[in-house]
Amino acid sequence: MENSKPRLIEKKLRTIEKRLVDLLTKAGYLKGRSRKFSEITAHIYIHQEVTQKLLRKLTGHSLGTISTTLQTLEKQGVVRKHSDPDTHEYHYELDGTVSQTLFRSLRDIQRYLYQMKEFFRGIEAKLSHPHLSRKKGYANIRQFLDEFNVIVPAHERVFQRFQTVVSDAKPKREVQ
Amino acid sequence: MASNKTPQDPHGFAPEIRQIEQEIVEFFAEKSLEFIGRHPIVATVMTYFDTRRSLTQQDLQDLTGFSAGTISKSVRQLVDMNVITKETIPSTHKHIYKMEKLPFTSARYFLRTEKLLEEMEKELKEMKVTLDNHAEEMKDLKGYQKIYTIITQLLELISTTPMFMTLIDEEIGKFIKENK
Repeated sequence: MENSKPRLIEKKLRTIEKRLVDLLTKAGYLKGRSRKFSEITAHIYIHQEVTQKLLRKLTGHSLGTISTTLQTLEKQGVVRKHSDPDTHEYHYELDGTVSQTLFRSLRDIQRYLYQMKEFFRGIEAKLSHPHLSRKKGYANIRQFLDEFNVIVPAHERVFQRFQTVVSDAKPKREVQ
Repeated sequence: MASNKTPQDPHGFAPEIRQIEQEIVEFFAEKSLEFIGRHPIVATVMTYFDTRRSLTQQDLQDLTGFSAGTISKSVRQLVDMNVITKETIPSTHKHIYKMEKLPFTSARYFLRTEKLLEEMEKELKEMKVTLDNHAEEMKDLKGYQKIYTIITQLLELISTTPMFMTLIDEEIGKFIKENK
């Protein structure tokens, strides 16, 4: 009987942990990520340092899925890998806080927008051959490019302005 | 016997245009994964909606070569993301999926995103209240501090999103006006 309260409290905390994983998984899914990828990422955000074995235990996903996800996250700069000198097992550590990781992803989006602009320049050149303008489907690609030619520079401005506002506001509400 | 015939383009796009479209699709499939973690299959299907706007699952199978199951899963995810809508083709039992506008120019997409963020904020606040109310009993439990920190940071991040949405609204509006 005496032990039941601590057990209840422990259970409450684990329920919150699960709700947090579910919430982050849903947010990732709604950004077009796979549920597995999002779930693994959520556990990394919470645990901050993980091994492949721990992720397998937490998610039940195959080691192949876990390894591929970790490779992608490493490439994106979300996690850093280091080897444990005693066990020789790889540890994957969240590179910075969650806020830092998410703000870094804003910079990645800026790089993405830049690459999009460069890529679309090449597509514009290809599409500008006069013989193509009467071909079936031309109007669709033209419309697609026209819309992106509005969206990309607009988003570049948004990210620049957003970063300025956030960095100006940061000293006032800096959290640990 | 399996047919070797290449499926016809559902909208009859000319081969030269189709080739350009394929380059666009490949670009987004690769770069969306690299920069935003979007699954390449979802990115591929989404890009076909960007260029074609209106497609059936069969059209998508013909365009991508993905299996019926993969296409079904991807369109469901895009519907959940509020990027496309599902309609029934009159006098048939078939469905057609439509993208009215590119997601980042669609008011409906923004409203849905705002609603989702409101729901997330509400849930995170509830979790924080529970953690605060039981701080004394929970503080030494494994993971308490990490969970508390991430919830606080997420709430902080969510608080910046209305401003972000306003900026998008302003800038897109400005560009559309200038380009009219």
